[in-house]
Amino acid sequence: MFNNTPLKRFSAFGYLLPALSVILFFAGYGLYSAFRNSLHLGEERPLFASYQELLLESPFWESVSISIWVAFSSTVISLVIGIFLTRRLVRLFQRDDWKFAAWFPMLLPHFVAAYIIYLLFAPSGWFSSLAAQIGWIDTMSQFPVLVNDPLYTGVIFTYVFKEIPFVILMMLPVYQEMDLRYEDVSKTLGGSDWTVFKTVEVPWVMPVSLEVFLILFVFVLGAFEVPALLGVTYPKMLPVLAYEWFYQAAWANRPLAQAMMVLLSAVSLLAAFLILRFTYKWRSHWAMRREDV
Amino acid sequence: MIAKRDLQKIFWLLLLFLLFIAPALLMFWRSLSPGAVWPELFSGEWNFRAWQVIFSDGNIINALINTVLIGAAVVLINFLLAVPAAYGLARFNFKGKPLIESVMMMPILIPVLAIAMGMHITMIRIGLTDTMTGVILIHLMPTLPYAIRVMKSGFDRLSITWEEQSAVLGVGRFRTFFTTLIPLLLPSIRSMAVLVFVISLSQYVLTSIIGGGQVSTLPLIYYPYFNSADSAVVAGFSVIFVLLPMLFFLVFEGLIRLYLSAVRSA
Repeated sequence: MFNNTPLKRFSAFGYLLPALSVILFFAGYGLYSAFRNSLHLGEERPLFASYQELLLESPFWESVSISIWVAFSSTVISLVIGIFLTRRLVRLFQRDDWKFAAWFPMLLPHFVAAYIIYLLFAPSGWFSSLAAQIGWIDTMSQFPVLVNDPLYTGVIFTYVFKEIPFVILMMLPVYQEMDLRYEDVSKTLGGSDWTVFKTVEVPWVMPVSLEVFLILFVFVLGAFEVPALLGVTYPKMLPVLAYEWFYQAAWANRPLAQAMMVLLSAVSLLAAFLILRFTYKWRSHWAMRREDV
Repeated sequence: MIAKRDLQKIFWLLLLFLLFIAPALLMFWRSLSPGAVWPELFSGEWNFRAWQVIFSDGNIINALINTVLIGAAVVLINFLLAVPAAYGLARFNFKGKPLIESVMMMPILIPVLAIAMGMHITMIRIGLTDTMTGVILIHLMPTLPYAIRVMKSGFDRLSITWEEQSAVLGVGRFRTFFTTLIPLLLPSIRSMAVLVFVISLSQYVLTSIIGGGQVSTLPLIYYPYFNSADSAVVAGFSVIFVLLPMLFFLVFEGLIRLYLSAVRSA
């Protein structure tokens, strides 16, 4: 291309500058001041006292485990169901009008999705009524507790309901660009459905799946809206705990809340770095394989 | 054979409907028909009482206006920032491009709560807390990375030959942008606008921290309502959140039509 002259490079930065400066100011400076506020600068206490307190405090580790449980299970379930739906529907329908039905939950805010799950799965909810109509249960209390439960089942349901459409949105272009003639090759040579998926689709699906996993996992770890409605008081998920600390005791616990958020950001950025590097390598590896042919 | 395939199609469409759309319809019905007592699945009675309660509440109306104003401003600013950024990323190659792209994705890779908590004191100092402006600015964080992504894939799909053709015909860059690029990019602009509006509509914790309880939006009122005994009102309130993006979409389509006819006659 003809755009490597210094002038052209300069004009590229001109286009990027407005968005870049907004992001650097809020995300970059915001993260920096969260870190600064988490330290005890110019105080009697040691500099990293809030980190020490955070890591030795038991509700933190309880919250870490429940957050990882919720983030991991909801992300994996959404990915598996989302990929399954995409590969069925892409093959069944030539045109993709169906996608509007599957994308509908993306129009709902997370807390409205939480309300829908509550409406369906609460002890007084729709499925409980259905079970009573069928005759499986006689009283409301016999219905399993699925919302505001210590295993966060309702929160996981909400995320799965909301994130499957996102998985489909990200996977659809992958399947549309895939060369499905390889599928014919595999099938004629006697490959099963699983072999087709493993050998034909995985090279394309893998990097996007990892990216989607990263985006969703990090989002669920840091999101306050759903667990605040469908969670329990103990153990709390990380963002709910941080929000509570942020306003507790006349702001005295703010360094603690900010230390937690800084750690969470650092872990997220590290995970992002590792995953993006892996997908980059994976892509260039498979791109080379394709050029060999 | 054909009949079997059609049957399969009907089965899958029905499944998609049951999984993704029927739950929202149930919510809509609940707002009209609160009567169903456990273990009744549906009640035949219905009325508009919940909707009357909602629309006669001055706090809700006020919050509704704020929410729409904030959402529209967030969409507009996203458009102004994301379109040039996406153009720069799609049309130029330069050293350090992967780094810049990852920096632009940063707000969705770290928790926005971390950003809001870090910025709180700074925004108090520059007088942005407790104001609409502050809330609009902080809403840029969860939206801008997606807006840039959507617009960039729009530019990627659009062949550069359109711009070259326009240049060959002696049309200025500015004019090319407004008369050629924007109409060709409409599908991306449309998805960007709806996506950004929905994300802005979904913010509770950012609005609560930066707005300090002084800027009232619908989500801030929704949370205390969630556990209220009047299930029809909560259901109706939830339905508003579904209707707002649809209304926004219709108004936005209208504006696009106006724009296109203005461009054609110019």
